[in-house]
Amino acid sequence: MNVLFTWLDWLWVAAFLLLMIGSGVLFYRLGKRSQSDFFLAGRGLPWWLPASSVYATHTATDTPMWITGVIYKYGLAGIWYTFFSAWAAISAFVSTRIFRRSLAYTQAEWNVVRFTGLGAEMLRGWMAGWQVFMNMFVLGWVGIAMGKVCAFLFGWPLWVGLVSFSSGCAIYVLAAGYWGVVMADFQQGVIAFLVIMIVSIWGIMVAGGPTGIVEKLMILGETDRMNPFAFTGWWTGEFPAAWFVTMMVIAILGGFGMGTSIDWYPEAQRIQSARTVRDSTYSIWWGTLIGLVRNSVWAIAILGFFVLFPGMTETSEYEMGWFRLGFDYLPVGMVGFFFAAILAIHLSTISSHLNLGALYATRDLYQHYWNPEASERTLVWVGRWSTLILLLGSFVYGLMMENITEWLIFALWIMTAGIWLPNILQVVWWRFNAWGYLSAWIANLGFSWLVVWVLPEFGVIPDLADYQQFWLLMLLGACVFIPTTFLTKPESMDHLVKYYVQARPLGWWGPVRREAERRGLIQEDSPKPPKVV
Amino acid sequence: MPLIRRTWTAAEADKWTREDWFVIVLSPICYFALTLGVALSFLLIWEGFAITAVSIVLVVWMHWIIDPKLKAISEEYEKNQHEYLRELEDAVRWKQHEQAAP
Repeated sequence: MNVLFTWLDWLWVAAFLLLMIGSGVLFYRLGKRSQSDFFLAGRGLPWWLPASSVYATHTATDTPMWITGVIYKYGLAGIWYTFFSAWAAISAFVSTRIFRRSLAYTQAEWNVVRFTGLGAEMLRGWMAGWQVFMNMFVLGWVGIAMGKVCAFLFGWPLWVGLVSFSSGCAIYVLAAGYWGVVMADFQQGVIAFLVIMIVSIWGIMVAGGPTGIVEKLMILGETDRMNPFAFTGWWTGEFPAAWFVTMMVIAILGGFGMGTSIDWYPEAQRIQSARTVRDSTYSIWWGTLIGLVRNSVWAIAILGFFVLFPGMTETSEYEMGWFRLGFDYLPVGMVGFFFAAILAIHLSTISSHLNLGALYATRDLYQHYWNPEASERTLVWVGRWSTLILLLGSFVYGLMMENITEWLIFALWIMTAGIWLPNILQVVWWRFNAWGYLSAWIANLGFSWLVVWVLPEFGVIPDLADYQQFWLLMLLGACVFIPTTFLTKPESMDHLVKYYVQARPLGWWGPVRREAERRGLIQEDSPKPPKVV
Repeated sequence: MPLIRRTWTAAEADKWTREDWFVIVLSPICYFALTLGVALSFLLIWEGFAITAVSIVLVVWMHWIIDPKLKAISEEYEKNQHEYLRELEDAVRWKQHEQAAP
């Protein structure tokens, strides 16, 4: 379809772009002051600013596409696909608190705070390099989603939508770093939330309102689509309850760890940019909650789309459903308003990942391994060059991706399955060491390709459902990292004591806690009263 | 001793206590219930409104439980943050070698 834009529509787009890019650039003077300012806004933000950034960053151009995909396919039960972000429920009060106290700029840096020696340095280098790659990859897939939206709307070639808007976004990221990102995210988050609500409610009304949707689903014989627990059996069918249970375990218990979700890495930056431990907790909790509420509203709008256009079988056709509600049904002059909001959604994600990838490249690779004595001015400039390189790399990745959903699910699996448990153990178990964690990462990369792609292709194992892959990958990973941990030495007690006193981790830290108490570094628990004989 | 404690010394707040575990249990319930409740409410299903109302009460209760403790942790921690940041900067510049803790 080609949408006809009037002058008013283009005015909306131009005004929004000017506002978003301009407000980011305004913070140029703050962003250039130091590395801490360019990447963490000087660690001084009140909770609601990083919270809005959490929400805005995780509302990407591809988000309504894949949420539409799962809701259209599975009905309201598909909403649990979006529940992976609930890792923040426990994390906000556990791992967020612990990470904020470590003060590490990145998850890669946290490795050398938690672990020590060669293993820790290898982890830092490995994770930093991997995160630079991963951010480029995310930028590519989000960018190409924008390319698809523009192709759908205007008939532009894919690369035009990919290159033009990401480049516009890079202007304020290059100028003001994280200050620009977070300030633009605030207004983008507000705009995006309001417009998502307006378009979704509009779509629901077009479909006949809530009661109209229910009635039409009954007429279509699709009432199961209103049931959020309409599974195809415990173990059988395309959407079994076993999948739901797996999702709940991954999402909820994952909050005890760090990195159990792909979203942890950008959130880690937001956690450190909050001015206190309390602010970091509330920023993660509330930012995520707004995202979950948004998903619920989206889900009902997409049920509305289903009753308007039932029977679509091509993913590429129905995953554009929410966009169609806006572009097909909003009145003239509001279409540009909707497109401007899509730009807000897009720019907030692109800006965050540009700055985050540059942070890993600058802090963990350039400064730590190449030029430790670099001045603050040099570090800011390296941050800018890294941003530019990430931008260019993302264009290459974006043009390589054809099917967003397939890549997204595979990337999420790589991030969660085989290292899900080690990501928790590193936080809650003192004995887990750098070598155990490193071995888990390496094993997981190999096992992921084997279990998801190679072995089914050669008929060695059947094609497994995603939740089955998760448990298998976790089991295979454990066969590597548990023996590795016990066959190598624990981290030095001095280092662990120092970490414990600063971060106060939850879990099995008894020997370290007792040593810290013995050294008089922390207060002993109240002595138990003597037994009366 | 009350079930929920709302006054903390810095040293006490640094420990993981019953209040933390209350919140660890309540928080996922709030997320789950709000996801479900808002969706059903937008279909005008009455259970959705009930679930949403209950989950809002739970959110308020959860913050009532944990906020005093978080404030105490933050106040104490920020006093030491400057020193921790200096050590972190030394580490990134390879100035801090493994030392015996005091």
